[in-house]
Amino acid sequence: MRDIDHQDRGGLLAPLKNLSFFARQPITEPLGPRPASANYRGFHLNDWDLCIGCSTCQKVCDNAAITMVRVPGLPEDPAKGIRNLRPAIDYGRCCWCALCVDLCPTGSIALSREYVHTCLDSELDSYFILPDARGIHGTPYPKGWAKSTDADLVALERQPMTEQAPADRIDNFSEIVAGYDANQALIEASRCVQCGMCHDACPTHMHAPEYIRAIWNGDPEGAVREIYRTNPFAHTCGRVCTHRCETACSVGHRGAPIAIRWLKRYAMDAVDHERVKQIAAEGRADFISGKRVAIVGAGPAGLTAAFDLVRQGHDVTVLEAQAQGGGMVRYGIPDYRMPADRLDRDLDVITSLGVKIRYNTRVGVDLTMERLQAEYDAVVLGVGLWMGRSTRVPGSDQAGVKRAVDLLRAVAAGESIEVPQSAVIIGGGNVAMDIARTLARLQQQRYGEVRIILTALEDLDHFLADADEIREAREEGVQILAARGPQEILLREGQVAGLRTWGVRSIFDQGGRFAPNYDPADEQIHPGDLVVEAIGQAADVALLGEALTEALQWHRGRLQVDGQGRTNLEWLWAAGDTVRGPDVVSAVADGHRVADSIHAYLSVQEHAP
Amino acid sequence: MIEGHQGSYDRIKSKTSLKEVLEVACSFEASARDFYRDLAPKVSKNIRWLAEDLAAEEQCHYDLLRGLADHPDIVEQIAVEVHTPANNTRFSDAIHLPDLGPRPDDQAVLQYAMGREHIAMEHYQSLAEGTEPGPIRDMFVYLANEETKHKAELEKLYYETVHSGGV
Amino acid sequence: MRPENYEAQSQPPSYDYELNIGPNHPGIEGNYAFKLRLNGDRVIAGRADAGYLHRGFEKLMEGRLWIQNLAITPRICVPDPVPMEVSYCLAVEDLCGLVVPERAQWLRVLQLELSRIAAHLFIFGGHAATTGMYTPMFWGIADRDLILDLFEEMTGGRVYHIYNIPGGVRRDLPDGFGERVTHTLDYLESRLPDYDNLLFTNQVFVQRARGCGPISQQQALEWGVTGPNLRATGLKFDVRRDDPYLVYDQLEFDIPTEEPGDAWARALVRRRELKESIRIIRQVVARLPELAGPIRCPIPNPLAWNVPAGSTYTRVESSKGELAWYVVSDGGERPYRTHVRGPSQMHAVQVLEQLAIGCRIEDVAQIMFSLDACPPEVDR
Repeated sequence: MRDIDHQDRGGLLAPLKNLSFFARQPITEPLGPRPASANYRGFHLNDWDLCIGCSTCQKVCDNAAITMVRVPGLPEDPAKGIRNLRPAIDYGRCCWCALCVDLCPTGSIALSREYVHTCLDSELDSYFILPDARGIHGTPYPKGWAKSTDADLVALERQPMTEQAPADRIDNFSEIVAGYDANQALIEASRCVQCGMCHDACPTHMHAPEYIRAIWNGDPEGAVREIYRTNPFAHTCGRVCTHRCETACSVGHRGAPIAIRWLKRYAMDAVDHERVKQIAAEGRADFISGKRVAIVGAGPAGLTAAFDLVRQGHDVTVLEAQAQGGGMVRYGIPDYRMPADRLDRDLDVITSLGVKIRYNTRVGVDLTMERLQAEYDAVVLGVGLWMGRSTRVPGSDQAGVKRAVDLLRAVAAGESIEVPQSAVIIGGGNVAMDIARTLARLQQQRYGEVRIILTALEDLDHFLADADEIREAREEGVQILAARGPQEILLREGQVAGLRTWGVRSIFDQGGRFAPNYDPADEQIHPGDLVVEAIGQAADVALLGEALTEALQWHRGRLQVDGQGRTNLEWLWAAGDTVRGPDVVSAVADGHRVADSIHAYLSVQEHAP
Repeated sequence: MIEGHQGSYDRIKSKTSLKEVLEVACSFEASARDFYRDLAPKVSKNIRWLAEDLAAEEQCHYDLLRGLADHPDIVEQIAVEVHTPANNTRFSDAIHLPDLGPRPDDQAVLQYAMGREHIAMEHYQSLAEGTEPGPIRDMFVYLANEETKHKAELEKLYYETVHSGGV
Repeated sequence: MRPENYEAQSQPPSYDYELNIGPNHPGIEGNYAFKLRLNGDRVIAGRADAGYLHRGFEKLMEGRLWIQNLAITPRICVPDPVPMEVSYCLAVEDLCGLVVPERAQWLRVLQLELSRIAAHLFIFGGHAATTGMYTPMFWGIADRDLILDLFEEMTGGRVYHIYNIPGGVRRDLPDGFGERVTHTLDYLESRLPDYDNLLFTNQVFVQRARGCGPISQQQALEWGVTGPNLRATGLKFDVRRDDPYLVYDQLEFDIPTEEPGDAWARALVRRRELKESIRIIRQVVARLPELAGPIRCPIPNPLAWNVPAGSTYTRVESSKGELAWYVVSDGGERPYRTHVRGPSQMHAVQVLEQLAIGCRIEDVAQIMFSLDACPPEVDR
């Protein structure tokens, strides 16, 4: 093109060039709004079925334009991580940056292609909206800027956890999980959006967002402090908890949930044990109340109550039938999942505060409940579920048929057991996996070979054991046969030779209740020198004695307690597996409730003169 | 006293009218109810609820059969039930109708109760097979179905109680 | 309004008087005030009065997370918001050691150059209007609108794109976008002869603009003048060439210069730059289909992101001059201090005051517009 010459004065006819404009179309913008682009950032849309009310959009909004509003009638399920909150937008503040869309864990919030809103002064409130899928005016506009892989800012992937390979772990009981190093913990902790769903879902409402944040800040001591606000069994829960928190995690709706359990493990391991004891002692009462509490059972429920009560200034004595404390955590969960030395640390923190534990003391045998009632101001029963159930099929009363809980207890107590060359396990829960994998290791050590068959009534989709347990058990050589029902223990020359099973056609009836339906034509024989039953557990309440059993109220076989764990007898509380079913963290929560109730009771026991 | 044994079987087999059949069935339920009622104080308090619940269940069955016996149009009532096939492939852990012993636990009581229902169901079924088609045969089929339903309920309770999942 | 400007002073009778231009005045670019002291038609002194558009962005940014500041950065300069976004992201990337993928760098250049064209079209109109010619203003705004349409498609927003994120950009191009860009560029190129006829070779404009507000090269360097204003004094300095960033070192383009640094020279430099920007964009559009790959590198969860401690100064060439961010991090999740090195701060204050002295009143507006001094960027 020609250069621009300012001295060019043009020619006489130069203005005639303008006549060409008559032939051109004028640039005219239409009066009505035209369709916006496909990625346009217009007014908000929110799919209320996908939205979980986590408030992450509110947190990232740079103009504080989002307020979370409670909408009654919407689903609310802390266990699944769903709240009945929905974001409301103030368009006087919103700048349509779409960071809320990019950071939404579920992808429910989006910006539409609608961009026109007008109102009179009297209608200024219309700038503050509670968006749903219908949009600001209820007219359907397509989505503009919505969740996309390009712009997604949610950290969906979890830091992998290193585990020992099957070949390395099959002949020993060393802990399988390696734990996070400091860098992994930092990265994993940074994924958290601090929504608090984990806190709501946890039975004991651990301050997980706070300890995750502390780990991210490089402050494991701060994390331990937050942990001890609700859980003195953190080494334990950091390894074996049923992690309701992770089930409820917002990020887990589309990605992998934050590894809240492994982060707890990391924090507890990262701080020196003596320092943990100091932190656990912070805030304890500096006086002695003069009240005495007896706790039957040194398991998580009993010892959590003991931890709370001793910190509140009471004198606590725990009576434990076994030689060591920990309850099912020590005597039920094998070392490769829950190393005993870490449990010992949890227990050491509790005893270091002054809780007295009398081991090898069985209530009902060495001393009675009546004596406890007389000598103590309050008594807590935390006796767990130590009686293994039996199928009672023919042959189940033989010596070669054992209950899983009995065997696990023996192994944990260091007793020598007769290791079978082949074994059949009945049951599909975590206890069945525990005994199967324990026996597998003992077999490997003794015979160099694993021969374990595990049968369960459930089909694989409904196995009660954790998916990780099933996977790891298979890797270790346990043969898992699903949907089989035990019929008879087979004997040969008076010795156990195996198990006969029938196939299970279905396990739930139309109403969804557990009612297995067998097929007698589908029969199998499973050979084994030992049959172990891991079908269920019951509480051994014989220690109560007949008089006390009659005096107490029961509900469908379990001790009846109120919301605070108190029985109908003024001086007696019950907590943990016995009343609530098997779960460590629920037992911890129970322990806290019972301790609060006892403390309130003991605090008003003074009588006016 | 165990209701399922041969004596009572013979007793009912000899009846020919629907009303008479129902009367005998009622007395079976009544004796079962009394059995559980007597059992209740003998078991530990923590499982007493089972015996009490079972007694109450038997009372309900008794009331149902009593109502049918007193109702003038039982023929039509029975005809409806006859078309429901009896599904009999569920078995609990080896029903052997154990002797309850001096201090039964919840598993023993439930197994015993299921055994009773099972035997009663078998008896009604074989009675039905040995009877000419007609209202009496329909009555036996109906009773067999009722016992099957009772047993199914107990099965569920048994599994929930005993097979508590293994944690 | 500063009170000290309005103190009554007793003075001997004179022909001097004060005239306040702004903050709302067609002769002022943006919200800005310029207090003139005149003798008849001639300006004796001028005092720039900034602050009407002070929104406190630099302080606001200290209170927001690094990611949240992305929404603030484009609002600092309204006509040419993209260099703000890109420069801030370059600063954070420098502090974090983030490596921006290649495709993202080319996308950023596309966005930057489109923004430059839009800004220049905007200022053509503004400059012309100060000489009494309003048609180029309408043309400029209308043609700029086509570029805003492209931005709307590319980024989801017409003026404030919020398209850049530390590590890259937020969205890839829609299908067929390259064709639409080419189509718009073809149209703009076909319009340039019209602009030349109406404005750049129009004696009405030429004679007004020549000799108005001249800056010598020496003065430019002393006063911190950058951008087209500097190049209009004959000095060939452009950050894209002399301190390359993104992929400018792989692109072919000329750096136009002019003399003698008056309003006419400045307008001409911008006119030529617009042509060069079209040239750059054509190269980008041709190259982009060959570049596969991610459009951003992974960053931590924005709600838990500590930028390592340190400070950095990252500059880009905006349509108005050297635009840079000075960002200081103390290792936390919010900036410790951010400062915008905006070209208009020099142009609109010191330079304007100097150039106004001795000029006629009708040229004051032209001087400001010919400097392309952008008050939002001065005030922040």
